Amino acid sequence: MYSNVITATLHGLEGLPVQVEVDLSAGLPAFLLVGLPDTSVREARDRIHRAIANCGFSFPQKKITVNLSPANQRKEGTHFDLPIALGVLAAGKVIPPDSLQGKAFLGELSLDGRIHPVRGALPLAAGLQNSGYRKLFLPKENCGETGLLQEMELYPAEHLSQVVDILRGETSAQRWQGDPSGTLAEDASLYPDFGEVRGQEGIKRALTVAAAGGHGVLLSGEPGAGKTMMARCLPGILPPMTPEEQLEITMIYSVAGELKGKEGAVRRRPFREPHHTIPVTALTGGGGKPKPGELSLAHGGILFLDELPEYDRRITEALREPLESKRMVLTRLAETVVYPADFLLVAACNPCPCGFLGSKERECTCSGAQIRRYRARLSGPVLDRIDIRLEVEPVPYRELAVRKPDQSKEGSTERCRTSSELREEVQRAAAVQEERYRNIGIRRNSQLDAKQLKTYCTPDRPGADLLEQAFQSLHLSARAYGKVLKVARTVADLNGKDTIGLAEVGEALRYRGAF
Amino acid sequence: MDLEIRKVTRQDPEYPALLQTIKNPPSALYYKGDLSPLQEPCLAIVGSRKASSYGSWAAYELARRAAAYGITVVSGMAYGIDAAAHTGALDGGGKTVAVFGCGVDICYPSSHRKLLGRILQQGAVLSEFQPGTKPHPAMFPVRNRIISGLCQGTVIAEAALKSGSLITAELAAEQGREVFAVPGNINQVYSFGTNKLIRDGAIPIVSFDDVLEIFGLDRRAEVKRKAPKPLLSPQEQRIADALRREGELSLNRLAEILQLPPGDLAAEVTYMEVKGLVSSQAGRIFLNE
Repeated sequence: MYSNVITATLHGLEGLPVQVEVDLSAGLPAFLLVGLPDTSVREARDRIHRAIANCGFSFPQKKITVNLSPANQRKEGTHFDLPIALGVLAAGKVIPPDSLQGKAFLGELSLDGRIHPVRGALPLAAGLQNSGYRKLFLPKENCGETGLLQEMELYPAEHLSQVVDILRGETSAQRWQGDPSGTLAEDASLYPDFGEVRGQEGIKRALTVAAAGGHGVLLSGEPGAGKTMMARCLPGILPPMTPEEQLEITMIYSVAGELKGKEGAVRRRPFREPHHTIPVTALTGGGGKPKPGELSLAHGGILFLDELPEYDRRITEALREPLESKRMVLTRLAETVVYPADFLLVAACNPCPCGFLGSKERECTCSGAQIRRYRARLSGPVLDRIDIRLEVEPVPYRELAVRKPDQSKEGSTERCRTSSELREEVQRAAAVQEERYRNIGIRRNSQLDAKQLKTYCTPDRPGADLLEQAFQSLHLSARAYGKVLKVARTVADLNGKDTIGLAEVGEALRYRGAF
Repeated sequence: MDLEIRKVTRQDPEYPALLQTIKNPPSALYYKGDLSPLQEPCLAIVGSRKASSYGSWAAYELARRAAAYGITVVSGMAYGIDAAAHTGALDGGGKTVAVFGCGVDICYPSSHRKLLGRILQQGAVLSEFQPGTKPHPAMFPVRNRIISGLCQGTVIAEAALKSGSLITAELAAEQGREVFAVPGNINQVYSFGTNKLIRDGAIPIVSFDDVLEIFGLDRRAEVKRKAPKPLLSPQEQRIADALRREGELSLNRLAEILQLPPGDLAAEVTYMEVKGLVSSQAGRIFLNE
């Protein structure tokens, strides 16, 4: 009396198929669960026992041995409930054992047999699909996200007795009919639009450069200048998510348990703004059991750090690795897990603690020492990774009130540019970069190292002359040199030019900031 | 740069003559460097520590031009305007004297060590406090009477409503010295103090010649050092005109006013900055005139 059910377990973002073997043997009634289950899996025993009984099936009064194979892989999650329960029922001949063949199962049981959604359904299903499984029974609520997998047939499961009926052949299985194109595709209308931001065309241009080249940005300016609003608009001008990106982002959110039931897949690029009081583990991910943190949840989108000087040094240090390697490696006692963490860093700060230094409207109340202390906290690993620094000024009320948003004068430069226009420019520049760096394993200008800088970012004669003069007259550092060149490369890509010329170097020099 | 600290009392001939005439002159001065520049015409340039780019520019330029006429620039080596004034005098190849509110062996603020080194080469630092005296907030207003007392005139380059430099202006007036103030826009908080001084009788600095008059110097004495006026492209001319009209502007506002694509404008402004036609500070651009 043996049965075998297919399910999966998670290792990082990777789903690994797991065979649930159930064996009934003579002896005192007992329920043995082996194969490195953690607490949440071990508790399945009690839920399964009551769920089977409450559905009106008899729970076998035998010695039940359940093995989760491969037995050396740690297993975690409540989605083992349904496969184990079915294994027990199949071993007890309540359902025909061969009806389980070629099918995989995920689901958490409640005591009355209903099936609850689980964490990580998409990566689990992806693992099963990669191993050749094509039929998956899973909680109805998890079908939305899992619908991203085109080759998988999904069967929503709501109740244990419903699944049993299907496997017995008493009712036929209803395949999930989601519309991947309509509900799963990226929805650009979910992003706030730059068209709503008036009188800040200069900042919008600089942010376009940042988005195109993947350059980290620091926005400084008094409260109410619009720093946060413009940062929020930024994901909307990044190139549209590719299906692979959407899959990867949705997987991270699935594992983190951050998917909202109805939405299904992630439909817009993430915008994460962890508060400066966040614990380091919530940022990096992990704790005892690895789980994606804010840095991974920002993957493919924007990580916004408002009030950068308020962040603890340990937090800014934690940013160093993902900014460098674009992923987060979590090493825990038993395992090492890797989550992707490729985000665009946007930080904001005030010019001084009270925020009004240099303001035209209000007087700053900070002492000189306070200002210097505040600025001193701005240095360090994060700032080294920021290529573009901008000072944002509030737009005077009369400007906001008088201007009409879409009125374009003959020059057409005055127009308030919208996210879709900027996004097109970014997309073109991104394509140029991806083509250029196809063979060297990077995607954006911001990732160039010192050696690659020489190969790809050599300005023409006038540009080089300007750079040299600027270094003498503006006292720039060697570090600033690399940053200016990278940004100039992006400006050239946006301008559709092969070589970095005078205009590109000139514009890039403007974004070096005042701190 | 470890110069010997020397002491001069009121009975010594080196004691600055102008300082003898104030109401409560210090009985002794401790100093490092060379006190002889104080025999020359002296101009105090002071202002707030939190200076705007406009204020720093004004202090720097006034000091630089004063230096060209052989005028000694006296200030307090604080952050902001004071530092700009000393730097201007030094860059102009002139003499400058810093008056401390602590012992002359203490560099306060300590981040001005480099500036202090330059001042000692082209002038002196002095204080009425004994060497080793630590800086204390109460000592700076006391020190200010020496700054104004050493000079025929005092320029307040920039001050908000509650600025210590307004005290210096008051002291200068009490001592019967000329008080100048650099006017600013009436909506600029950092100019409220200086504008108020003007209303109360200070001489507004409309051009640099206003300062020269009290020293009996005239413009022709200036060492001709200025390069011929650079030729501006039509685009640069438009930018310069806008900045002249509006004062300092962010790149963003400049783009709005001139109706230019911000990217092109950014490049244009950089060319001008490299040529020394404009400067920028904290994201604002202003004209060097």
